Amino acid sequence: MSTPIAYFVAVSAMLFAIGTVGVLVRKNALVIFMSVELQLNAVNLALVAFSRMHGNLNGQVVAFFSMVVAAAEVVVGLAIIVTVYRRRQSASVDDLTVLRG
Amino acid sequence: MLDLVWLIPLLPLAGAALNLLLGRRLGKAAGWLATGLVGLGFVLAVAALVDLLGLPADQRVHVANLFDWITVGTFSVDVALRVDPLSITMTLVVTGVGALIHLYAIGYMDHDPRFGVFFAHLNLFVFFMLMLVLADNYLLLYLGWEGVGLCSYLLIGFWFERPSASSAAKKAFVTTRIGDAAMLLGIVLIWLHVGSLDFGAVFGRGASELTQGAATAIALLLLAGAIGKSAQLPLHVWLPDAMEGPTPVSALIHAATMVTAGVYLVVRSHVLFELSGTALTVVLVVGLVSALYAALASIGQFDLKRALAYSTMSQIGFMFFAAGMRFYTGAMLLLVCHAFYKALLFLTAGNVLHGLHDETDMRRMGGLRADMPLSAAWFTLGALSLAGIPPLAGFFAKDQIVGFAATSGREVAWVLASLGAFLSALYIARPLFLTFFGRRRGREHAHEAPGPMQAPLAVLAFLTVVGGLFLGLTAEGGRLARFLEPVVGVVEHGEAALPEAALISISVVLALAAVAVAFWIWASGRVDWEAFPQRQPELAGWLANAFYLNTLYAWLVQHPGKAFGRALTVVDDRVIDGAVNEVAEDVVDASGVAPRIQRGFVRSYALAFLLGAVALLLFLGLRA
Repeated sequence: MSTPIAYFVAVSAMLFAIGTVGVLVRKNALVIFMSVELQLNAVNLALVAFSRMHGNLNGQVVAFFSMVVAAAEVVVGLAIIVTVYRRRQSASVDDLTVLRG
Repeated sequence: MLDLVWLIPLLPLAGAALNLLLGRRLGKAAGWLATGLVGLGFVLAVAALVDLLGLPADQRVHVANLFDWITVGTFSVDVALRVDPLSITMTLVVTGVGALIHLYAIGYMDHDPRFGVFFAHLNLFVFFMLMLVLADNYLLLYLGWEGVGLCSYLLIGFWFERPSASSAAKKAFVTTRIGDAAMLLGIVLIWLHVGSLDFGAVFGRGASELTQGAATAIALLLLAGAIGKSAQLPLHVWLPDAMEGPTPVSALIHAATMVTAGVYLVVRSHVLFELSGTALTVVLVVGLVSALYAALASIGQFDLKRALAYSTMSQIGFMFFAAGMRFYTGAMLLLVCHAFYKALLFLTAGNVLHGLHDETDMRRMGGLRADMPLSAAWFTLGALSLAGIPPLAGFFAKDQIVGFAATSGREVAWVLASLGAFLSALYIARPLFLTFFGRRRGREHAHEAPGPMQAPLAVLAFLTVVGGLFLGLTAEGGRLARFLEPVVGVVEHGEAALPEAALISISVVLALAAVAVAFWIWASGRVDWEAFPQRQPELAGWLANAFYLNTLYAWLVQHPGKAFGRALTVVDDRVIDGAVNEVAEDVVDASGVAPRIQRGFVRSYALAFLLGAVALLLFLGLRA
C-alpha cells in the first residue's frame, strides 16, 4: 500500500503557500526569487505525484522540463539581481518603482 | 509649309522649357531666345499664310492631325491644328505683336532678378494662346483657354511680393473661372448633342441636328466663357486690377491677345450663335453696354494703366457689338487693328512708367512731351488711331462697325455706338493730354526710353498707320474681310437712311470734337479739372469707381462669403474640434486614474496575480 496521493498534494500546497507568502511579504529580491523557486518546486512535486497516480510519465517529463527552464531562469534572474545590486547598492524591490504609472 | 504648322506653337513651348530650366545661366540671352522663337513662329505663320493664299478661296482649310489625345469609349478627341483664314489671322497677331512685345520686354525687364522666369512665362503664354487659336476642336481650344488663364495669373502676380499684385492675380483667375466653368458646360452640351467636338463636325453636321433651344444654351454658355476672358460686363472686374502686372504683360495679354480670345471664340462659333439668334442679340447687347460702361469708367481713372485697361474693355465691347450684328469681319478687323495700336499705347505707357520710376498717377505727370518726344509721338499716334481719326487703323475698324449698325437697320444701336465712339475718343485723348501735354505737375525729370525699347514701338506705329488702309479699306471689300469670307461668310450689305459719306463724316466729326473737348478740358489750362472731384464728388466717385460694381460684388459675394466662412469656423471650432477635443480630454482623464493601479511594487502585482488565480479557481470550482 503506497502513500495516499493526498499527502503529496498537501505538502505541495503547503510549499506553494509558503512560497506565495514569501513573494508577497519579503522585500529582498533574492529572497523573493527563492520563494518563486519554492513555488515552482511545489508544482513539480504535484506533477510527479499525479503522474504516479495516473501511471504514466507525462507529468514527470513536464517536471523535468520545468526544472531545466527554472535552472536557465535562475541564471538570468540572478544576473539581473546582481546587476541591480551593483548599480543601486540595494536589492530591495520597493526601491525599484521607476515603472510606476 | 502647312505640314510644319505644329512647329509654330512648339517653338514658344520649347522656349518656355529652356528658360525655366536654364534661365539663370542664360542671363540676358533668355530674353533674346524667347523673342527669337516667337519671331521664328511669326515667320512660319507668314509662310503658312503664303501657302494658304496659294490655294483657291474655298479650299483654304488645312487640318493637321497630330495624334490621338483622348479615346474613351465613343468619346475621342485628337490633337489637331486647324489652319484657315481665321486662325492664321489670329496666329499672325499673336506671334507678330507677341514678338514685338517680347523684344520690348528685354529692355523693360532689364533689372529684374527673375528675368528668365518672366520670359519663360511669356513664352508659355504664347504657346497656350496659339493652341487656343489653332485648335481644331473645342477641348483643345479649352486647353489653350485655361492655359492662357494660368499664364495671365502668373504674370499679373509676377511681382508677387506686392500684396496688391498677388491679390489682383487671384481676382483675375477666380473671376475668369466663373466664365470658364460655364464654357466647359457648353462644351459638354456640344458633345451630348452633336457627339463630336471637332469644329468641322459641330459646324457641319451639328448645325443641322441641333435644335434652336440647344443651340441657344450652348451659345450662351460659350458666351459666358468669352465674357469672362474678354472682361465684358458683368465679369470685367478683374481687368483693371490686372494692370498690377508688368507693362509688357498688360500690352500682350490684357490688351492685344488674350482678352480678345472671347471675340475669337464668338466668331469661330458663329454658326452656333446664328442658329440660336437669341445668343447673337445677347452678344450685341453685352458688347454695346460694356463699351459704353467702360468708356465712362475710363474717363474717371487717374491711373494711366487703369484708364487704358478700361479703354481695352470698351474696344472689346465694340468687337462683341460687331459680332452680335453678324459683322464678324468688322470684329476681326478691329481685333487686329486694336492689337496694333493698343500694344503701342501700352508699351508707350511702359516708357512713361520706366522714365518716371513706376509713377502711374496722371495727376503727377503732364508736359512729358519735352522730356520724351518720341514716346509722345507714339502715344499721340496710338490715341488718334483709337479715337478714329483717318487714315489710322482705328478709324477704319471703328467707323465700319458703327456704320454697319446704320446700314443693317439698327438705328438705336447706331446712336449708342456713335456715343460710344465719341466717348472712346474722349477717354483716350484724356491720358494723352494729361500725360504728355499741358502743365508739368511732376517734379522729377523723365528720361526717354533707350533705343531697343523704341524699335518695336516704331514697328507698331507703322502698323497703326498702314494697318487699316491695307487690311480694311471698306467693310465689304477690305483685304481682311475678303480673306475671312470662306470662314465667316460674306458681309451682308444693307441700305442706310443716310448716305455712306454722311455716316463717315459724322463719325470723323464726332472723333475730332471729342479730341477738341479733351484738349479744352485737360490741356488748355482753362478748366480746373483737378478740382472736379471736390466740386462733383458724387459723379467723380461713380466714374472713378466704375459705378461701384466692385463694391456691389463685395456686398453680393464677398461679404456673404466671409460671413458663411465665419459660421463654418464656429462649427469647426465648437462642433468638430469640440468633439475631437472632448474625446481626447476624456482619454486624458481616464489615464489619470489608470496609473494609480500601477504602483511599481512587485508585491502588489503578485497579490493581484494571487487574487486573480483564486477567483478563477473559485469560479471554475463553483461552476463544476
